[in-house]
Amino acid sequence: MSETTISTEKTWSGGRSPFNVSYGKLMMWIFLLSDAFTFSSLLVGYGAIRYSYPSPPEFEIPVFEDVHHMFEEQGGFIEALTEQGIFSEGHWPSPDMVFNHFPFAHGIHLPLFFVSLMTFILIFSSVTMVLAVEAGQRKARGEVTKYMIYTIIGGFAFLGCQAWEWTQFIHEGATLNGNPFGPWHFAALFFLVTGFHGFHVFSGVVLNIVILINNMMGTYEKRGHYEMIEKTGLYWHFVDLVWVFVFTFFYLI
Amino acid sequence: MGHNQINYDNYDPTTWVPEAENHGTKALWKTFIILSVITVLDIILYFTIDPGMPRNITFIILGVVKAAFIVYVFMHMTYEKGSLKNTIILPMIFVIYLIMLMLIEADFWNYLNYLLD
Repeated sequence: MSETTISTEKTWSGGRSPFNVSYGKLMMWIFLLSDAFTFSSLLVGYGAIRYSYPSPPEFEIPVFEDVHHMFEEQGGFIEALTEQGIFSEGHWPSPDMVFNHFPFAHGIHLPLFFVSLMTFILIFSSVTMVLAVEAGQRKARGEVTKYMIYTIIGGFAFLGCQAWEWTQFIHEGATLNGNPFGPWHFAALFFLVTGFHGFHVFSGVVLNIVILINNMMGTYEKRGHYEMIEKTGLYWHFVDLVWVFVFTFFYLI
Repeated sequence: MGHNQINYDNYDPTTWVPEAENHGTKALWKTFIILSVITVLDIILYFTIDPGMPRNITFIILGVVKAAFIVYVFMHMTYEKGSLKNTIILPMIFVIYLIMLMLIEADFWNYLNYLLD
């Protein structure tokens, strides 16, 4: 045993990996750290701009209320709330008044239900990804394929949800330089940060598909280890981690 | 899983990969349940606590707790060496500190706007 092991005193003297990880995995960690800085700067910017505006006045609509009929004579939901001063250029809008839509429930007030669903989709696809990693550690090729397919489905489901949310938001009049809900920064930052995150999800899905094809062709079986799954898994979990903070900042704060 | 037992015979940094360790799936499902519960808790707090800085700081702390579970369990950070943990985690602690400082600073900008109007 003495010939094959090197003591910890020699960590940085060469001939071994100082962190006991492969260079690829270390580089993935360092890349994720730099990517985390990028997202942090966007979210710090969001938080700072958000709180340089006053908060919206207290206003409540009961959940499951049919707001489409409730505000019909005032010309619509947005028009009625603008008239009452709930949506105004002078203060930030309340996210539960803006993001209260759900597919197939037109006009029903369901604040934050849809983004919670998106959060659960992403958390669940993270679980299937980590199950694929676990299967890879056991060199179980069939299971890796199965869980990678689940993860890719989760990724596409999330992207579909985001496309629906953007479409809804754009239909209501949100653009990069203005929106009917409040200061122009609101929609501009929303498109910038969720777009940046959505692009990361898209890249993650592409990586996952590449990994799935490689696995089905037996590349990792030939190589003798499934570390590629772990490295892509790190990226996919990072995307989930960023969504935790996008969710916190855009919909809760 | 002592780090001294790792085999460095014929060490080639471009291809060397440590032997994969399997830690089972129990912790993963437990983490999934914790993450779901915290997300539901977020929504409940959103509708029960009045808006303001204390609520925001609660949400950021809950976000950091969720992030910690993702990094330590899903990304297997628990099983990495201490030096790698520090390389990744320490910079992020400073970033979280910056987020809190900027929220408080922006609240002051808002106050300045109010004074100047």
